[in-house]
Amino acid sequence: MATLELKDLTKKFGDFTAVDGMNLQVEDGEMIALLGGSGCGKTTTLRMIAGFTEPFSGSILVDGKDIGKVPAYKRNVGIFFQNYALFPHMTVYENVAFGLKIQKLPKAEIKERVDHILALVRLFGMEKRYPRELSGGQQQRVALARALVTRPSILLLDEPLSNLDAKLRVEMQVEIKRIQKKLGITTIIVTHDHEEAVSLADRVIVMNAGRILQVGTPKEVFDHPNSQFVADFMGFSTFIKGKVKLELPDRLIVDCSGRDICVTRPEGREVSEGDNCTLAIRSENIAILSDEDMEKLAYDKNALSAQENTLKGRVESVTYKGHSTRIEVSGCFAEPVYPAPIDYTGPGQGGEIMLHLPADKLCIYKN
Amino acid sequence: MRDKRSNPLCAIVAVLIMLFLIAPLVVIILASFTPTALITFPPKGFSLEWYANIFSKSNNFISGLANSLKIGLGATVLDIFIGVTASLAICRYDFKGKNMLLNYFTSPMYVPGVSFAFVLLQVYSQVGGVPGWARIFIGHFIIILPYIIRNTVSVLHVFNWTLEDAATSLGANPVQVFFKVTIPLAKPGILAGALLAFLYSFDEVALSSLLSTPRFVTLPIRIMNYMEMSFDPTLAAISTLLILCSLILVVLMEKFVGLDMFMR
Repeated sequence: MATLELKDLTKKFGDFTAVDGMNLQVEDGEMIALLGGSGCGKTTTLRMIAGFTEPFSGSILVDGKDIGKVPAYKRNVGIFFQNYALFPHMTVYENVAFGLKIQKLPKAEIKERVDHILALVRLFGMEKRYPRELSGGQQQRVALARALVTRPSILLLDEPLSNLDAKLRVEMQVEIKRIQKKLGITTIIVTHDHEEAVSLADRVIVMNAGRILQVGTPKEVFDHPNSQFVADFMGFSTFIKGKVKLELPDRLIVDCSGRDICVTRPEGREVSEGDNCTLAIRSENIAILSDEDMEKLAYDKNALSAQENTLKGRVESVTYKGHSTRIEVSGCFAEPVYPAPIDYTGPGQGGEIMLHLPADKLCIYKN
Repeated sequence: MRDKRSNPLCAIVAVLIMLFLIAPLVVIILASFTPTALITFPPKGFSLEWYANIFSKSNNFISGLANSLKIGLGATVLDIFIGVTASLAICRYDFKGKNMLLNYFTSPMYVPGVSFAFVLLQVYSQVGGVPGWARIFIGHFIIILPYIIRNTVSVLHVFNWTLEDAATSLGANPVQVFFKVTIPLAKPGILAGALLAFLYSFDEVALSSLLSTPRFVTLPIRIMNYMEMSFDPTLAAISTLLILCSLILVVLMEKFVGLDMFMR
């Protein structure tokens, strides 16, 4: 087990800078996720750690030692490849035993370790099969077992769940997390899927254009993205432009297309009176108010705060998504608002709808 | 699978074509057992006389066979080394003129054998003193290279190079990666290419007939010379043996390499 540190890591391909002065510290046994769109430099970072490609400058430290000059095959880094990369000419047993045979371990020890790891990934009894005879989920487990059996100091997972269907995905999420915690191995996951990142990792690193945009716990990154770009990437769908009208100790009043919206004041980030800004909110945090709710609000003085960010709009479209319904609402602001209630029985296209944007769920970004 | 639909006309045409393909072979094989001094069909009786004649020393068939095997095997083995390394370079790396290089390596396939032989003859006469075996060996070495490169490239073209990264990450050094992952997976293409190359060399006539010297003659040339002088069933007998050898070779390849490697 080991700690990993990236210092000013930079990679250039010709004129293109794929990774730009990246600094990162990973604790022993920690599981972190590099999250970003394609071309953000996450895979290049992974390949540099693995030793498949050389950094342009900067260093990679494992347990404090620079491994820049160590060839890939001596780095003791386990990798799980996106397409699994199982050896098609070897059985499950041979695939998993490959790394141990290279180390020239005695046969009995190889057998013991392979059996143990296959039990851990719940593939016992499949030793004699070839990869092509396995399902996608089983192949994935073999790939994971093969990466783990050599007891690498660091485990790299490249888009581990992207090739699986929804059900298997959830299953493998649990599985990977269980195995990682059990072995206590320092792990880096590379993914473009924010749900995968927040559900697997202890810490999420959001990247774009070779740079780190935000580092935080899954909850921090998911609920409080530090920029509009990160918010967009983390699945925020409603973005409203406005101007800060009034600064109060605990909140801000923002003028959005002539309506006053109350926002809980964010920690740290300074947005002051007169600044142009963008408000962002996640679809599932937008409440839809029924007529009864409205009546209750009208008589209930305690619900004043709720009354504040209540808006009337027109339903433009309703799209049933299975687990929720996505609604496009216009007329609240210049920009459309996209609530996504779980059970929607309200008006259809063209109908009027009352929305509530909770002040503490709104994120504010200075423009 | 689609439903099997059969049309009697189609079936008849198919059977006729198959008969057309196999009939000459059947005639030759049956005629080789005739006791008569001329090739006759159907054979009148049964005799192995002409088979025995193949092995009579004065006919030089056996020495021709030995020469053919030496040239064929030697050129194939040497070409495997050169062809596989060239194919790896072409497929593994991305560089300008990659396709041109591939076409360059496979160009001997498109040059008519006779013109190629003419060029080589010119070179040999300029250099002078090239031994008989080398005259043929060099020619064969060049013309069979495309078969090995073509077939190896066809496998490497769809090769999953991540497998090499995977092996490396598991601790295999470049040499181990090459022999434990790359070569085993490219093997079907290499062997198929080697088989085609060897068979091409083994029955090559045009080039060999122009390049050979009276002291170093390959089997096909020996058969041709024999044919010019006498037209007896010995030729049918030796043809039958050659057909049998090719058949065994192809069946063995099928068994050991198999076509299933291509179907992944």
